[in-house]
Amino acid sequence: MYYFQIRQIAMAALAVALAFATWTTRIQAHGLEGDRFFPPTPLTDDPFAVDELSLPELQYNPASASHEIDVNASFSKEIFPKFALTVSETYINLNPKGGPAQDGWSNVGFNAKYQLWEIPEHEFILSIGSDVELGGTGSKAIQNSQYPYNYYTTYTPNLYLGKGFNELPDELKFFRPLAVTSVTGYDLYSGAPASNALEWSGSLQYSIPYLQQDVEDVGIPRPFKDMIPLVEFQMTTPTNRSATPTTGTIDPGVLWEGKYCQISLEASIPINSQSGPAVGGLFQVQIFIDDLFPKLFGHPLFFNDDTESNK
Amino acid sequence: MNIIRPLLILFLPLATISPAEAHAFLDHASPRVGSTVHPAPTQVELWMTEDLEPSFTKIKVLDATGAEIDKKDAAISGSTMVVSLPNLPPGVYKVVWKAVAVDTHVTTGDFTFTVN
Repeated sequence: MYYFQIRQIAMAALAVALAFATWTTRIQAHGLEGDRFFPPTPLTDDPFAVDELSLPELQYNPASASHEIDVNASFSKEIFPKFALTVSETYINLNPKGGPAQDGWSNVGFNAKYQLWEIPEHEFILSIGSDVELGGTGSKAIQNSQYPYNYYTTYTPNLYLGKGFNELPDELKFFRPLAVTSVTGYDLYSGAPASNALEWSGSLQYSIPYLQQDVEDVGIPRPFKDMIPLVEFQMTTPTNRSATPTTGTIDPGVLWEGKYCQISLEASIPINSQSGPAVGGLFQVQIFIDDLFPKLFGHPLFFNDDTESNK
Repeated sequence: MNIIRPLLILFLPLATISPAEAHAFLDHASPRVGSTVHPAPTQVELWMTEDLEPSFTKIKVLDATGAEIDKKDAAISGSTMVVSLPNLPPGVYKVVWKAVAVDTHVTTGDFTFTVN
């Protein structure tokens, strides 16, 4: 019962947010700091509190005992200037070797994020926020050894960073398209017998659009001129009640920036045997809802500043 | 499948809304971004990826000291912006632009070119 109530409340809140959004008109940029566009990356939550829609994200994780396919969707809405709320859900399909497939929803996840400090001329942004995964809202059908803590709520305060390399000297100008993002968080389980854990992830990106638009037009044609090669990593380090070492993946891949969407493809390479037995993969479509529906998205619900175009 | 209902709730409202323009990014420029040219160009022209709002779109050309050296006659039409230049001596020049798309998305950028 609790599972359905939480989900219905979340959906109702989103419907109300959509209705309010239609009342406002001005458009803010998505993920822009100075001349730099920081794309939303699949594993490292970007530092921007803006309207974003990830639908779908498909993740394939091979494991020794089963194969797993996750279908994730998340929606972020800027509520006040520089403050956004996100709701996310994942549909999990487990295929145990020698057993019947199991599938169901994960716990409902929420995130609040605030852009605390920005220096556009240095392409720098620092944001703070927190994830909350509501225990008991996931499907009981997928309760097993891989998901032993679904009944417990997890709080994860996060620090988000983004920095472009635009200040490099002319001798290193071909490194200016580089940028880094990172998220550092700490999982706090409410009453669970699990270890709290440090979550740390990051991305190193090389923006070919930035190269051609801000550094030197070297004549790279489409579709390559719209691509951003990158390497991400996502690590978990237990900090108490566990002897488990750090686990995680290193994820090289590429993003393609379209007019209204971004497509991401990454390989997931486990860093040790505890992280997985084989290479997995990740595919994500990120929809630029502020471009696709500018009257509905791309601006905060409240205290909308209508002066940006005049600056 | 259970996934259908929440997706419908989320995205049915979007079906009633007409798509519009997107952010205006630089597609290409003349002189080309980061290029070395000879003789000196008489104008700088930028082709953007979207139509522009002329009232708020701006383009400037600065010399090595940061002084604006263009003729301040910027013209915005469709997705292009152009500004005239005086006779430029050899040196490095910086083009600074701010593009406001017709749906008011704002983007900025800058690049240099060198006159030999």
